[in-house]
Amino acid sequence: MINRFQPSLRRLNQLVDWFIPAELAADRESCKQARMFLFSHLFGPFVGNTVPAAVYLVDPNPTYDVAVLAISITAFWVFPFALRRFGHYNLLVLISVQNLIFCILWSCYFYGGVSSPTVSWVLTIPLLAFFYIGPHSSLRLTVLGLFAINVIAFIIVYQMNPLAGKELPAISMQVLGIISTTATAVYVTMMAIYYAKTLASGSEIESEMKRHLATAAELRRATAEAERAGVAKSEFLAKTSHELRTPLNAIIGYSEMLLEDAAANGDDELLVLDLKRINTAGQQLLRLINAILDLSKIEAGKMELVNETADVSEVVIKTAESCRELIEKYQNTLVLELAQDLGSIFCDTAKLEHVITQLLRNAAKFTADGHVTISAKRRVCSPNDEIDITIRDTGIGIAPEAMPVLFEFGVAEDTSATKYGGTGLGLALSQRLCRLMGGALMAQSEAGLGSCFTIRLPTQPPAAAARSAPDDPGFPESNDARALSVAA
Amino acid sequence: MHKILLVEDNEMNRDMLTRRLQRQGFEVVCAVDGPSGVKAAAEERPDLILMDVALGEMDGWEATQLIKAAPAAADIPVIALTAHALASDRQKSIEIGCAEFETKPVDLTRLLKKITACLAHRDTGQMGAGAEDAGANAATLCATA
Repeated sequence: MINRFQPSLRRLNQLVDWFIPAELAADRESCKQARMFLFSHLFGPFVGNTVPAAVYLVDPNPTYDVAVLAISITAFWVFPFALRRFGHYNLLVLISVQNLIFCILWSCYFYGGVSSPTVSWVLTIPLLAFFYIGPHSSLRLTVLGLFAINVIAFIIVYQMNPLAGKELPAISMQVLGIISTTATAVYVTMMAIYYAKTLASGSEIESEMKRHLATAAELRRATAEAERAGVAKSEFLAKTSHELRTPLNAIIGYSEMLLEDAAANGDDELLVLDLKRINTAGQQLLRLINAILDLSKIEAGKMELVNETADVSEVVIKTAESCRELIEKYQNTLVLELAQDLGSIFCDTAKLEHVITQLLRNAAKFTADGHVTISAKRRVCSPNDEIDITIRDTGIGIAPEAMPVLFEFGVAEDTSATKYGGTGLGLALSQRLCRLMGGALMAQSEAGLGSCFTIRLPTQPPAAAARSAPDDPGFPESNDARALSVAA
Repeated sequence: MHKILLVEDNEMNRDMLTRRLQRQGFEVVCAVDGPSGVKAAAEERPDLILMDVALGEMDGWEATQLIKAAPAAADIPVIALTAHALASDRQKSIEIGCAEFETKPVDLTRLLKKITACLAHRDTGQMGAGAEDAGANAATLCATA
């Protein structure tokens, strides 16, 4: 039922809404009242004019009063245009109500006085006032006052000049009564139906809200889906990386064996060089796969920290020395600048070493005939001191446009990738590792002058992330460095 | 000559590690899965077991538990080999009674150090106290050695 009416109601509302000024349309409640106002003014005169038409037909000698009534009723059509043109809704409502009262009392005056067949129209006054002005109590009172004044004026005029009333034959009065009452009924019904429809459009809001809720649910579902897809991706990467490592183990292992053989047999240098190349390429591939594996582990929230207390200088010196050969390969000088008060740090040293190594390798890769400086200092702050480890080079630097995406996997280094190799994986992983350890990785660079990366780590991991490995000296770490620090 | 049992399902890894260990002067016997590893541990009585964790149906930890449960081989130190250096893996290795933990790909120099340490402990340990709780004790002594 409602569905059948829905399109016509929408068209009707479109017509009605054309007259509503923007300031009324903005508020839902005012808009609803204005719609009632406009609907009654646009369609009311059709119903209302049946009364003067009936009077004209039943009255053997129709006079000017019929014309005045018809004009007054037709004048309601002016109101919608006045509203669109001037606004002033409340004023128009009062004028309209006044016009309505006038029409009713005018017809009563001429046809039957207080027992006039048109007196039933009085009912529409409070009804319309209610429809038009809603909860405005002062306006309602004004309307009632208006009505009272009119009635008083009517009584006075009627008392002073009762003869103006026409005496129609009883049968004519009856016909007029039937028509007028029917018209009133039609009019009231029409307004009631439209009001009900407008109320139903309140349920439009409800259904709109339902739609929004559905959209929200859909969004939540999509988000969950995306999260699942993210986890699935990470798991896929982890599995694939694992599968890739197995044959790689063989490549690295066998090439090492062949190198051992070659060394033992004193084979020719060219063969040794080729074997070394295979081995180096294998190691490089392994580092990449490990980086992917680590990155996917971090993204899946599965990366674990194995924290331990370590001497900062020791970690820095050891890592720097392990990269010395690579740095000096392109005639660079490795410089160490370590503060005296570095002390110790409680962190996952293997991961810290990994980050330092990554940054030193990058520095070495992008610098020639220059300096690669690694410096470390302790920053006194609360609740825990911080260690800054800075790796500075005098290399090609990073273009300003590359800086914002430096730590984004797959984006950074792309421009220089063809020349220098690299996927941007190393920096992305380094940054995430630093964050995982409660710290940060910061980059500064000036294209052509060099780059500067700073690892900042708290000397104690933040409380929430503190999940230290059990302090178990009975189980040496698988990593050399840990084994050393245990032995030390 | 020390005898090492290598439990590893990947053929290439098995072959490679076997040959490299042989060159270092070890006698190496192999098992390709968990059950045959448990069987070989009892029959061959190796001095040390290298146990891959990611085996087929019966994983390396399960096999290690079975080995540790059987009196015939309970005292043999086990070095677990895993692909990732996860703290949880390490923790699990300790709980199960592995003497050591090594990540793959194997760094031979590092692995040899661990093998030597465990064997040294085993040789001295057998002369001294009983070896009932070989796992935990071996671990402690390996580290201090």
